[in-house]
Amino acid sequence: MGQIMLQVKGINKRVNTFNGELDILKDVSLSLERGQSLAITGASGSGKSTLLGILAGLDTPSSGRVCLAGVDLSELDEEGRARVRAEQVGFVFQSFQLLPGLTALENVMLPLELHGVGSAQQRAETFLARVGLAERLSHYPKQLSGGEQQRVAIARAFASEPKILFADEPTGNLDSVTGSKIIELVFELNREQGTTLVLVTHEQRLADRCNCHLILEAGAVLPSAEFQTTEIFPC
Amino acid sequence: MLAVKLLWRNARSAEVKLLFTALLLAVAMVTAIGLFSDRLAATLLKQSNSFIGADRQIYSPQPISHLWSQQAQAFGLQQVRLENFSSMVFASPATAGDSVQSVDSSLSETADGYSAHTADGSVAVEERMQLAAIKAVEQGYPLVGQMEISTVPFATAPGDIEKTDAVPALGEAWVDSRLLAQLDLTINDSVFVGEKSLKITRVIITEPDRGGGFSLFAPRLMMNRADLDATEVIQPGSRIAYHWLLAGTELQLKAFLDKLQPELSDHHQLVDLERAQQGLASTLATARQFLLLAVVIAMLLAGIALVISSSRFAARHTEQVALLKSLGASSWKVRRLYLGQLLLLALAAAVAGLLLAEIFQRLIALAVASMAAVELQPASYRPYVLGVVSGVTCLIFFALPPLWHLPKISPLRILRQDLPVSSVRITVQVLLGTLAVLLLVYLFSGNIWLTLSVAAALLAVVLAAAVVALVLLRLSHALGSSAGSVWRLAIAGIKRRSGQSLLQVVVFAIALLLLLTMYAVRTSLIDEWQLQLPSDAPNHFLINIAPEQVDAVAETLQRRGLNTAEIYPMVRGRLVKINAAEPSAAQREKVPLLRREANISWSKNLPADNQLSAGKWWHLEEENELGSKGQKGLPRVSVESKLAKKLGVEVGAKLQFSFGGLTLDAEISSLRQLEWDNMKPNFYFIFEPKVLDKFSPMYMTSSHIPASEKSVVAEVLRGYPTIVVIEIDKVIEQIRDIVDKVGRAVEVVLALILVGGILVLVAAVNASIDSRLQEVGLIRALGSSRKLILGSLAIEFSLLGACAGVIAVLGSEALLLGLQQQVFKMPVAPHYELWLAGPLLGTLLVGSLGVFSCRRVLNTPPSVVLREVG
Repeated sequence: MGQIMLQVKGINKRVNTFNGELDILKDVSLSLERGQSLAITGASGSGKSTLLGILAGLDTPSSGRVCLAGVDLSELDEEGRARVRAEQVGFVFQSFQLLPGLTALENVMLPLELHGVGSAQQRAETFLARVGLAERLSHYPKQLSGGEQQRVAIARAFASEPKILFADEPTGNLDSVTGSKIIELVFELNREQGTTLVLVTHEQRLADRCNCHLILEAGAVLPSAEFQTTEIFPC
Repeated sequence: MLAVKLLWRNARSAEVKLLFTALLLAVAMVTAIGLFSDRLAATLLKQSNSFIGADRQIYSPQPISHLWSQQAQAFGLQQVRLENFSSMVFASPATAGDSVQSVDSSLSETADGYSAHTADGSVAVEERMQLAAIKAVEQGYPLVGQMEISTVPFATAPGDIEKTDAVPALGEAWVDSRLLAQLDLTINDSVFVGEKSLKITRVIITEPDRGGGFSLFAPRLMMNRADLDATEVIQPGSRIAYHWLLAGTELQLKAFLDKLQPELSDHHQLVDLERAQQGLASTLATARQFLLLAVVIAMLLAGIALVISSSRFAARHTEQVALLKSLGASSWKVRRLYLGQLLLLALAAAVAGLLLAEIFQRLIALAVASMAAVELQPASYRPYVLGVVSGVTCLIFFALPPLWHLPKISPLRILRQDLPVSSVRITVQVLLGTLAVLLLVYLFSGNIWLTLSVAAALLAVVLAAAVVALVLLRLSHALGSSAGSVWRLAIAGIKRRSGQSLLQVVVFAIALLLLLTMYAVRTSLIDEWQLQLPSDAPNHFLINIAPEQVDAVAETLQRRGLNTAEIYPMVRGRLVKINAAEPSAAQREKVPLLRREANISWSKNLPADNQLSAGKWWHLEEENELGSKGQKGLPRVSVESKLAKKLGVEVGAKLQFSFGGLTLDAEISSLRQLEWDNMKPNFYFIFEPKVLDKFSPMYMTSSHIPASEKSVVAEVLRGYPTIVVIEIDKVIEQIRDIVDKVGRAVEVVLALILVGGILVLVAAVNASIDSRLQEVGLIRALGSSRKLILGSLAIEFSLLGACAGVIAVLGSEALLLGLQQQVFKMPVAPHYELWLAGPLLGTLLVGSLGVFSCRRVLNTPPSVVLREVG
């Protein structure tokens, strides 16, 4: 058995709504080894993005524990979780989340500079070249197509060499041909860097490429032959 | 370092540009208007100080100590000395001893020192001598202002008049034109002053420190101080006024005078503009208050612009912060990054703002100079400091609160953009903003009333806005369903963005309020200043007219188309006893009038510009009997109130006057307040009619003589040599010139504020554009016509503008109430014109700005708009 990268034990997420309390996630548990990939699928409103947020340390569960790269997120405050994100986590979003005022190169340099990486520009250029955008360094997001924007976002995510990459519907805003190219790119980089990958998607073909597949329905995990949870151990 | 990089990259974005522009404007507007005001105030003060020929003047009946001169020099002050006294001057060579006499004429204390007049005003023309007001000056006089001289008596043509910084050379004299007429002399003739013969080389057209009113009965003869000893007219006991003129910066003057103060005796009189020209000094003080108000308003406008832009900045940076936090930036790091960026932005804006202000104020100064031919004085460092301080304060109180919550934004927002952002509560922001406004207004003005007035106006705006919002919502419910599609769309827009709409109405209202207030104050001030000196105000006084000459003089003037408005009887008399007791030496020392004769008149009616402060005016018709007596059975006299206070008398007190040796007892029946520098005949004592008939009254009249008819003065003087003509046309011209310049400056500042106000309105309209663009793009995509969208936008913005206009007028009236009552000391009156102008201006300005700002959406394909605003 490889090194466990992500473990989740019995997490619940309950929120207050106008109509009273609502359980968004119900007793979700999972475990993921380093280098593995996990697809989270489910209908709209099933709690996929909420789960992704909790797994990445962007949000906290109402109850339960999340261990990321050996760190128990449940015991950390937001500052502590930010530190973990800075050191371990990369993101790719459905809406790309590029800063419109920055060029492609500057967008990729941003997390590197934030973490004080010395050769930020050089590394950003390398990764942009890796995603095929060597000629578009000084272009602004609005001057790039959707696929190109997502490639910039992928370069940004991988440039800081995260141990785990969270992708929220990475092909959701792209046509199928471009989407396929993006998927190829993500998995290629994933392999090269040995990154653990957690992605939320609607697309079955994307889910099929992952080692594990977790299906959510109304906040609960559906039993699935494709998803084997490993034994939970304290982190 | 990252903050610098981020700012450098963010600088390309619209919201950073907007924030930078608002900060830049805050610093630039406050500094530029502050600088211009400072320079203008210094210039006007300098120019006005020409009324005393210096920045300060000290005069005394004893010579000024030379030790003081050394001290003044050490303080870096400029100084000159001069002597004023009265003496007979003779037109023909005369033997010393029998024809030269120093006349112990009565001296009247006036703003510019002592001047003299004869006891009876008579002039012995046969002997060709005339009592003259001699002024012995040295090189450098006047320290402030310039003399105008000519070789042509009564010259009015600009080509004949020469401005000079020189003084009469040794052995020369410059004289009033009327002295030539009275002595029948021409230029290059000689006159004797005492033992010294002086050649008349120029006539004096204007002499800056001559003063207005009746300060100079006798014509002026100006000579060089170095000739003074040779005249031998200054003997022990001679009545000389020794003047010491000082000029320098206010700081230098204050430091020196503070040091000198303990050494000044009761004999030393310190004269500044306030004392010399109260009316002008108060005009300048009011103008300074106006400029101060302008600075405060500029600052408030900049503050509004900052709130708008920083709110927009915060809205646009929410996603950026969420991204940074998802990338692992801690709240503390985000806060440091943003504070760093903001401080850098402030620094850049402050430097650029100061530079811009410098360029701006130079341009304004050039514009003013081209209009009014005035050389502006340099400004002090204070406006620069104030500009930066106000920029930093605005940043802390206006720009920071909307940004304060940014570091607290949840990183989860990167996934879920529906997550609410808990920004600093609007009430806290409003409270902080209000606090900052009041703090800044107080810091700038040091005037608690101005501060309270601004507070009252802001409160009025908030209350009125709440009411208007309620009414508007009700109306929208009532009208919404029944209105046509254009109106329905507009009203739906207001309803949908009710919070934003209300905020916009408040912002529009405050900007409009400030503009309306500036306009109203400017209009009232200029009206008031113009009223002070109407263009046909009398500018010549003819005094000492014998009863039989009255008609002839009037006829001479009428022949030239000149009117003699009023004829005042006048007797010269001396106050000799107060409540049956002779004034003490101390009293005589304290009240110069007790040492000389006064012009005393009588009148049936209270003179128009006088105000009764105690007692009753006589109403002869009601009393049935002309010349009825007071309570003590004595003739009644009305006394000027300040003099009464100095004399320690009230209504009912008994006064005894001496008229050429004949005494008359009278009872004070009333006290009057009057403006001494209103350029009209004013009297300390006015009797009831008939009482003074037996004391051989003479008459005086006043007339407005335009420059083209100036030769009538020479004609009158030749025809009636005993008449004294006092020319105050140049003084009036000088005052009017200054008031005109102040008026123009006020106009320029108002224009600046208008530009600032419109910029703020543009910013406020633009702030709501993002949400509108998407909406308009969508409606366009759904097939709505340009006309429908244009119509609904025009209606929506016009409605908001109209509401803001009404609120602005309410706030403006509240502000004006405080300003008129406490700051400008003007009569309080409602401003009906504002009630029309406010809503109209609001509707037109906001309506057209709104449509103009959204025009791009109408001219761009909907798909492009939707993609851009995404």
